Amino acid sequence: MEALEAVLLGVPLTLLVTGASLSIGVVLGVPLVMGLRSRNMPIRSACRYTVNLLRGIPAIVWLFIIYFGVSIGAFQFDAISAAIIGLGLISAAYMAEIYRGGISAVHAGQWEAGHALGVSDWTTFSRIVGPQALRVSIPSMTSYAISLIKDSSIASTIGVTEIVFFTTQDARSGGGGLTVYLLAAAVYVAMCIPLGLLSRKLDSSLRKKVSR
Amino acid sequence: MDASQRAQPMVSLRGVSKNYGERTIFSDVNLDVSPGEVMAVIGPSGAGKSTLLRCINFLEEPTSGQITLGGRTIRAGEGVSGRDVQALRRKAGMVFQHFNLFPHMSVLDNVSFAQMRVLKRSREDANKRSLALLDRVGLADFAGSYPARCSGGQQQRIAIARALAMDPEVMLFDEPTSALDPEVGLEVLAVMKELASDGMTMIIVTHEMGFARDVSDTLVVMADGKIIEHGDPRQILSEPNHDRTRLFLRAVLGR
Repeated sequence: MEALEAVLLGVPLTLLVTGASLSIGVVLGVPLVMGLRSRNMPIRSACRYTVNLLRGIPAIVWLFIIYFGVSIGAFQFDAISAAIIGLGLISAAYMAEIYRGGISAVHAGQWEAGHALGVSDWTTFSRIVGPQALRVSIPSMTSYAISLIKDSSIASTIGVTEIVFFTTQDARSGGGGLTVYLLAAAVYVAMCIPLGLLSRKLDSSLRKKVSR
Repeated sequence: MDASQRAQPMVSLRGVSKNYGERTIFSDVNLDVSPGEVMAVIGPSGAGKSTLLRCINFLEEPTSGQITLGGRTIRAGEGVSGRDVQALRRKAGMVFQHFNLFPHMSVLDNVSFAQMRVLKRSREDANKRSLALLDRVGLADFAGSYPARCSGGQQQRIAIARALAMDPEVMLFDEPTSALDPEVGLEVLAVMKELASDGMTMIIVTHEMGFARDVSDTLVVMADGKIIEHGDPRQILSEPNHDRTRLFLRAVLGR
């Protein structure tokens, strides 16, 4: 029972790191995908290189670079901020790619219909194409969120006291290593399953609205 | 007729050309459409009819030439500003082959959206206008439904209402019945006929020969990137000047 308590102690920070970095990704992914689709060559290639860079470096390496390397003036990132920023930036790159897929899945006629009505580019994107692209993107976004819950365990390597941090601590302090890791596994599964259910429910209710 | 008495054309194309790289879609097209005129554009596929229509509201930017619509002129090719294009588009309503309704909005919102966003009408005013137009195309009962619940013919009538809601000075139709069953197409043609008799200026790219003959005031035949005939529909359909027109008419009428 003590082992379970130890594992559960890490849940708040696992949720915080996942939720915060996912939010950063969901928001920053929007300007990034707009850059990827820009007609302006320099902007487009800058965004393309950014995405390639963010996706090409392992999360654990990013976290160490930000934690040990980056300091702004006298301010050094603490472990939690470093984890959130690192995973948040990576999420932004993945979200941008997910959005890009979603946007290209929307029929070109939707842009044309907006434009023909005299609606501006931005409003056509934000009110007509965007919402449809988002709906298409929800399943991929959920898959990403689920893998992010698990990837947030990487934050334990820079000392963020999330699930794996406490689990490892408990295992080292003597108790049965297998038991506590199995408990940790169960807790992760318990967090991921509802997310999948929620996504499928959201997807089918949105689908019901737009199709016969 | 005295030149001063002649009405200013509603739509006027001067030397309009469109290329995709090396490929010429059409070149040096000159065309005037008077207020209230209904013009049908026919011709074999690949002739450039749809591209020409889409150049009128700059959905495709012409490579060169100038387009005047309701007194607003845009010259192609020299840094066309987005603001000018938006202003020009506001004067033209467009109806697409595949309707292009917004699937995530109700029928009412489809018709009201641009009124609120572009014309800055209040939701109340926009909805009132939308309901009147939906009633006019016989679909007031569908205001609360989503487009996917409507048949193709109904969707196209909603698309017509959506375009009319912007109070356009000219309506552009890009093969509005081509994606519909012949029977369903009739209900769309009926709405268009009514619109024509109300005095709307219309340019219609179509394969509906009956409509071109009976409803349109002028007929344009395009082939191989050029306008090869332009004049009275009955005359062109019965005695075309060009062999190319004869060939085309034999294919569409003689089946």
